[in-house]
Amino acid sequence: MALLGNPNVGKSTLFNSITGLGVSTAHYPGTTREVQFGRSTFGDTEFTLADLPGAYSLYTDTEESWVSRRALLDIRPDAVVVVVDAGNLGRNLRLVLEVLDLGLPCVLAVNLVDEAERAGIGVDTEKLSSRLGVQVVQTVATQGLGIRELVTRALHAIDGGDPPPPRYTPALEAALGPLAVSASAFSALPYGLSPRALALQLISGVEDFSVLFDEGSEAARLTGEAEVLRGDLVIRHDEPVTVWLSRERSTVAEGLAAECVMHAEPRRRVDGWRIATSPLTGVPLLLLVLGCVFAFLFFIGDLLAGGFSALWAGSVSPLIRSAVTAVAGDGSLGRTLLWGLDSGIEASLAIGLPYILTFYVILGVLEDTGYLNALAFLADRAMHRMGLHGHALIPLVAAAGCNVPAILAVRSLPDRRERLIASTLVALVPCSARTAVVLGAVGHYIGMGPALGVLAVVFVLWVLTGLGLNMVLPGKSAGLVMEVFPFRRPSVRGVLRKAWGQFREFLFVATPIVVVGSLILGGLYETGLLTRLSEPLAPVVEGWLGLPAVAGLTLLIGTLRKELALQLLIVMAVAVMGAGATDLTLFMTPTNLFVYALVNTIAVPCVSTIAVLAREHGWWRTSAIVGFTIVVGVAAGSVFAHVLPGLAR
Amino acid sequence: MPSATLEEYLETIYKLAERGEVRPAQIAEAMGVSGPTVTATLKRLQAKDLITRPDNGVALTTTGTAEAISIVRRHRLAERFLVDALGLSWDEVHEEACLLEHALSPKVQSALEVFLENPAFCPHGHPIPSSDGTVAVVSGEPLCDYGEGASVEIVRVEDEDDSLLSYLASLGMYPGTSVFVCDVAPFNGPLMIEVGQSRYALGRDVASKIVVKPSVSEKDIEARRKS
Repeated sequence: MALLGNPNVGKSTLFNSITGLGVSTAHYPGTTREVQFGRSTFGDTEFTLADLPGAYSLYTDTEESWVSRRALLDIRPDAVVVVVDAGNLGRNLRLVLEVLDLGLPCVLAVNLVDEAERAGIGVDTEKLSSRLGVQVVQTVATQGLGIRELVTRALHAIDGGDPPPPRYTPALEAALGPLAVSASAFSALPYGLSPRALALQLISGVEDFSVLFDEGSEAARLTGEAEVLRGDLVIRHDEPVTVWLSRERSTVAEGLAAECVMHAEPRRRVDGWRIATSPLTGVPLLLLVLGCVFAFLFFIGDLLAGGFSALWAGSVSPLIRSAVTAVAGDGSLGRTLLWGLDSGIEASLAIGLPYILTFYVILGVLEDTGYLNALAFLADRAMHRMGLHGHALIPLVAAAGCNVPAILAVRSLPDRRERLIASTLVALVPCSARTAVVLGAVGHYIGMGPALGVLAVVFVLWVLTGLGLNMVLPGKSAGLVMEVFPFRRPSVRGVLRKAWGQFREFLFVATPIVVVGSLILGGLYETGLLTRLSEPLAPVVEGWLGLPAVAGLTLLIGTLRKELALQLLIVMAVAVMGAGATDLTLFMTPTNLFVYALVNTIAVPCVSTIAVLAREHGWWRTSAIVGFTIVVGVAAGSVFAHVLPGLAR
Repeated sequence: MPSATLEEYLETIYKLAERGEVRPAQIAEAMGVSGPTVTATLKRLQAKDLITRPDNGVALTTTGTAEAISIVRRHRLAERFLVDALGLSWDEVHEEACLLEHALSPKVQSALEVFLENPAFCPHGHPIPSSDGTVAVVSGEPLCDYGEGASVEIVRVEDEDDSLLSYLASLGMYPGTSVFVCDVAPFNGPLMIEVGQSRYALGRDVASKIVVKPSVSEKDIEARRKS
């Protein structure tokens, strides 16, 4: 069975309450919208439920629309559960008509009836059921109401045979008729479509069916016939056929809704949107929310990470250490293994648990309450300058806590260009680890003013990068078109489940890459190759940046975990200068420290960030982003290395 | 005056040209005739100096354009007549108007215009060209020029590849749909609009592509019908 619906109608909540925890996801190559599969049993029937991406229609140019349509055709589910918003039946029903037009057995879940009731809207499900010829069930997914009945009806619908196709205006029926007759001459139609369903698909022209027929020239004649018809329709109605079809379906859907919706006096309620978007209250609220997100990730995340590291060092690390030493000895092999299995896993978990899990919970709350949309609404203008939508603000703010969840959150942005810009910008936002190095190296040893100076330089470069990328990258950002739905109370269970699902994905995808990366880095270090590899870098590190060569080495190792750079720098200083050198000013000049913190902040994100970047954008683009940060970091570092001493004099 | 067939061709080319460059294959597709037929007919049109063939495309000459506008005018007048005077529904008058348009002399056209009280638009909302061949651009301003509390109607969506048009359509916004602007974000930010029971936030750039005109209230429509 498949689950389909407009965005924000509670589809995922329904999916989560029907299926158990055993959920797997699938992607069509080149898309980010995923299809989730969950298994469940009902009585003695076992079934698989596919959760399709939320879409307004199956026939627009958007990825979610394409994925949903392809999945319906490819999977050809035994039944489709279409989730509709009881408070907005007219627009939602059009999607139902699109499913019925494919000839798929279908059951309607009229969800959010509680919210509609508050707005004074009731739905006559019996009438709707008889008009559409399919079963209709009222549900409140957040409270689990109506779900048993929905599943029962859906399982019945599988044996119920094909539903009656919707009827449209004479103009459309006249266009469909002859084409359906021609199509019925074929013994087998693609995707098991009925002649009428195929005729509609051919008219809409969104799929190329010519390659799918076995019967060669006959099929070409049919698709040719459809092409002529399409041209005729464009001329006659003076609009694209998909738009015309959508209008036809809308007319029928709105008519049905008008018949089946009962209006009562709505209960008065405060419209939170007024408060959330008016300049006087909205902007302070926005700043407050952003401040909270930042503070939560920066301080609480940091606290948790510190606690976790202490716990790890105290209990888990010794176990791994003794196990590895027992197996591989304490030679360079054993130590290399420790880099990967101890430090690597710790790096992944120390980011994963405190930052990513907490971030997903925060994001889930913002998303499910609907405040994320209010935020996007307010921030859109500013973000637009960098070719981004208002939605991108949250990942960018979250990045100040940790880049990794921020890059994972970039996935929700609508197009590839925007995701690339946002990811690059996220990678340039100093996360709490890098800020710690700035504060530790510059703030502690020189003063808060220079430390803020480093951050200010990063910020200026960041804004320039955003403006520059927007100008340089081909294409234009698609404008914001976003549905605004009333604020809702999020369900704790829903938020936690979603957060856990996303977190699990991070663990399984990023951890292996981080471990392998750490093993390689460890191997290079333990064999002494890293020192030799850093030799060619010496002119850059010593000449351009004016730093001691060992500092360059720590910058390289800092890619494992950014805060390691500072710790290692102190270790190195001690190694070079003797025990008194824990005061870094003995080892490096203020300019050195400034440049060091700057380069560490900008150049090369950490291994975990690189791992998720690669997952979202592929290795080619990731290398480009990483390369870009190196160039910007080293360039900025060299400039300051040469300008600062002059200024100080 | 060209024959009815040639007039149909001119009308088709004119409409296709509104959407961009015209190729013979598009004409064949739109009129449901074969490629060779189109080629032959295009030769006849070219001989009459109604079209030119730049780079194998098709373009109307000045005379051709004037002729095409005249046909469009007759077609839309006929549609108006069928709907207003005879009470046919607007979605069934296209074919009938195709038959009638070739028979309307200039005299009948001006008589119709007087009878219909100088209509500016056909029943589908497209402008009716005037007798001297000028086509009124459908008046309207971009949606982003309107502020909070404005009640407007979508006239058209200016979009190169129709993807915005079809996306907006999937949200229930078509040319002709009424839209209410309920909020505008501070600092020249996006607009929030209400369409039926749904609310959407539209970025400035999207809103600038949606051309709208102030809504005609139900009362006005009623009054027009009565007169």
